[in-house]
Amino acid sequence: MKKDPLALGVIFVAAALSAGLFAIFFWVPTEEFQGVVQRIFYVHAPSAWVAYLAFAVVLVGSLAYLRTSDKRWDLVAHASAEVGVMFTGLALVTGMLWGRPIWGAFWVWDPRLTLTLVLFVIYVGYLAFRSTATDPDRGARVAAVIGITGFAAVPLIHFSVDWWRGQHPGRTVFRPEDGPALPEQMLITVAVMALAFTALYAMLLVMRVRLLRLEDDVDRLEAALTPDVA
Amino acid sequence: MSKVLAVALKDLRSEARSKQVAPVMVAFSLSLVFLLTFALPPGSGDAPPPEPQAGAVAVREVIGPLVWTSLLLAAVIGFGRSASAEHEGGMIEALILSPVDPAALFAGKALANFLFLTLTEMAMIPAFALFAGVGITPLWPGILAVALAANLGLVAIGTLFGAAAQHSSARSLILALLMFPVLLPLILAAAKLTSTLLLQGSFVGATHWFILMAVFDLVFTVIGAVTFEFVIQE
Repeated sequence: MKKDPLALGVIFVAAALSAGLFAIFFWVPTEEFQGVVQRIFYVHAPSAWVAYLAFAVVLVGSLAYLRTSDKRWDLVAHASAEVGVMFTGLALVTGMLWGRPIWGAFWVWDPRLTLTLVLFVIYVGYLAFRSTATDPDRGARVAAVIGITGFAAVPLIHFSVDWWRGQHPGRTVFRPEDGPALPEQMLITVAVMALAFTALYAMLLVMRVRLLRLEDDVDRLEAALTPDVA
Repeated sequence: MSKVLAVALKDLRSEARSKQVAPVMVAFSLSLVFLLTFALPPGSGDAPPPEPQAGAVAVREVIGPLVWTSLLLAAVIGFGRSASAEHEGGMIEALILSPVDPAALFAGKALANFLFLTLTEMAMIPAFALFAGVGITPLWPGILAVALAANLGLVAIGTLFGAAAQHSSARSLILALLMFPVLLPLILAAAKLTSTLLLQGSFVGATHWFILMAVFDLVFTVIGAVTFEFVIQE
C-alpha cells in the first residue's frame, strides 16, 4: 500500500492541536487583568500569523507562476489564498470577541485590525475574480498579477492606517514591540498553537492543491468531451 | 515615448467619437456631489452658521474624505468603461499585434485615463466647494498638487485592474472589489491632505502623506508597466 505523507501530517496536526487546546484550557495560568478572556489570544495570534504567511505564499506562488508558467505554482497561490482568507476571518472574529469585553466594542479602528480587514477584502476580491474568470489560463495569469499587486499594497496600507489616527509617524511606526514580556507558560502555549496552526495550514494547502488539480482535470476532460467548444 | 502618445491619442480620439467615458464620469461625480452635499447639515459651510463657526470646521474636516471617496467611485465607473470599450470591439487584439510593447501600451492607456480623471476633478471639486459652501479659491495650487499625486496612483491601479477585470464575468463588480482595498492608502493620503489644507491653509504637519503617495505612485506604476503584458496576453 502506498503511504500518503498527508496522513502523517493529519496525525501531527491532531496531536499539536490537542496539546495546544489542553495547554489553553488546563495548563496556562489565567491572565491577571483580563481574566479568562485573554485565552482567546492563543487562537487569535496564531490565526493572524498563518494569515500573513498564507498571503506571502500567494505572492511567491504568483511570482513563480508568471516566471515559469508552471500550473502547480498557480494552484499553490490559489489554495493559499483560500486558506489565508479563512484564517484572516478567524483572526477577525476572535479579535472582535476579545475586543467586546476588553475594549468595550466589537470593532475599533485600530491600525492593525484595519490592516487585517483590508487584507481580508483584497483576497476575497482575488478569490471572487478567480471564481468568475472566463478563461482558466488567462484567469490564472491575471490572478497572479492581482496577487502580486495586492501584497505590494500591504506596507503602504500599514503606514496609512497607522498615520490616519493622527499619530506622529516617528513614534508609532518604528515602535519596538516593548509590551510586557509574556510569562514562560503563556509563551509556550502560544508557540504550540502557532506550530499547530502552521501545520494545519500546510495540510489544508496540500489538500486544496490536490482538489484544485482534480477540478482542473475534470474541467479539461469535460471540455474535451463537449463537441462544440469555442 | 511616441508610441505611448500614439496609444493615448487613439484612446482620446475614440473617446471624442463615442463619448462613453468622460461624460459619464463627470455626470456621475456631479450627481454624487449633489447627493453628498445635500446630506450635510444646513448652515455647515462658510456662510455664517446659527452657532458661531461650529459647522464650518466640521465640513472642512469631512470634505476631504467625501471628495476622494466620490472620486474613487467615479474612477471605478470610468476606468471600467474605458477598459471594456477596448475589449468589446476586439481592439485589444489589434493592439497586442501592433509593434508596441506592453509597458508602452500601459503608459498610453494610463495617460488617457489620467486625462479623463483630471477632467472629472475639474468639474467635481469646484462643484463640491460650491455646494458645500466652502471657499477654496486661494488654495487651488495645493489642491492641484494633491490631485496630481493621487491621479498617478489611481490611474496606475485603475488601468491595470481595469484590464484585469475584463477577464471576469462580473467585470464592474470585480473592478470595484479589487480597487477599493488596494487604493485605500492613496485615498486616505489625499483625504488627509485635502482636509489639512482646508482647515489650516497649508500642508504643515502632513507632508509625510505626500511621501506615501509618491511611493504608492512609483510602486504601482512600475508593477503596472511590468505586469500589464500578463493581463492583456491572449
